[in-house]
Amino acid sequence: MQRLPLSFIRPGMRTYEEVLDSQGRVLCGKGIEITEEMLKRFQDLGVSYITVEGTPVKLPWEKSLDEELQALEERFKGVEDETLLQIKEIIKELLFEKFKIKE
Amino acid sequence: MIIDPAEKRKEVKKKLRKLEGLPTLPPVVQKLILMVEDERTSLNQIAEVIEKDQVITTKVLRLANSAFYGFPKKVSTVTQAMMLLGINVLKILIMTSSIFDIIHKEDVGLWEHSIGVAACSKIIAERLEIKETQEIATAGLLHDLGRVIEKVAFAEDYKNLIKLIQEGKDPLEAEKAVLGLDHAEIGAFIMTQWNIPERLIEAVLAHHNLQLTKKYKQEAAIIHLANFLVHARGYGETPYKSVPPLNSEVFKILKLSFPEIKEILFNLEPRLYELKFFTEELKRELV
Repeated sequence: MQRLPLSFIRPGMRTYEEVLDSQGRVLCGKGIEITEEMLKRFQDLGVSYITVEGTPVKLPWEKSLDEELQALEERFKGVEDETLLQIKEIIKELLFEKFKIKE
Repeated sequence: MIIDPAEKRKEVKKKLRKLEGLPTLPPVVQKLILMVEDERTSLNQIAEVIEKDQVITTKVLRLANSAFYGFPKKVSTVTQAMMLLGINVLKILIMTSSIFDIIHKEDVGLWEHSIGVAACSKIIAERLEIKETQEIATAGLLHDLGRVIEKVAFAEDYKNLIKLIQEGKDPLEAEKAVLGLDHAEIGAFIMTQWNIPERLIEAVLAHHNLQLTKKYKQEAAIIHLANFLVHARGYGETPYKSVPPLNSEVFKILKLSFPEIKEILFNLEPRLYELKFFTEELKRELV
């Protein structure tokens, strides 16, 4: 999952979250493939960001899944507290979900 | 060199009281403070004063539109910002704008951490349905204000305490050893000088030690949890290289369970993208 400014969005990308216009109205549901026409409509209605499935755009600051997992291990090094470890597991789940591409 | 923390503490507070070494407040702030206190002033009159200052207006609107407040509608006028954020938050944003200018230039990691905690605090506050969630977001934004002040106004001491942390000393203990007080207390002290509402001051003061709260335990617990989650997710940077301690009391105070923590983290992730683009935009403007 990536949330990107409209200028990064290309036809063929799939929505991960609902698309909202500048008034907060829902324009498009989740899991929909974005078409050329939809993109134009989003521009006209002042959409600023869209959350899409997978990681279709290479962002210079973004880590890969492996790098993310490694950094997570480092941050939690030496942690034994059960609560903290459960939060670590949630973040791991989030990372796998984030890099997943749905069929 | 041996430092007596009690003596140093007095010296630091004296300097803070005079706001030595801190950027001066923009002139419009003085006028605003008087207007806000005067009950006869209308919101429109206040908006007019702010709008006369182009730089401040631009900054305020940019912050109002940033993802840590997460308003779905675009905020395009000062009056709108005032309606959505409330006059208290608006005043704080104006007062702290010069400090945050410094911070995103000099320590982008701490800036990112602060806005990450602001966004996360807002998500938690909305979930709990507590009032004035934009105030909680603002407390999140300001929670490490004390670190910024250490860096700007006590640069020599700051270097010493960073050295101690690198040698393995606990960050809070290092601050107390070098300055006689930690960043939570420094931040709260300055916020008191600025007449910021008690709710925000207490949340900042107690964000590492919930025992310090009197009235606003829930607010402090939100910032404490948000601070932990943003560290755990690895967004931004602070002197903590590994995750900071988490007081498990927060789960009781906020009545949150693990599935809810999961939802909070999943809601936060897209916001972090917006925050990153926001920071990149600020960086480009500096070049």
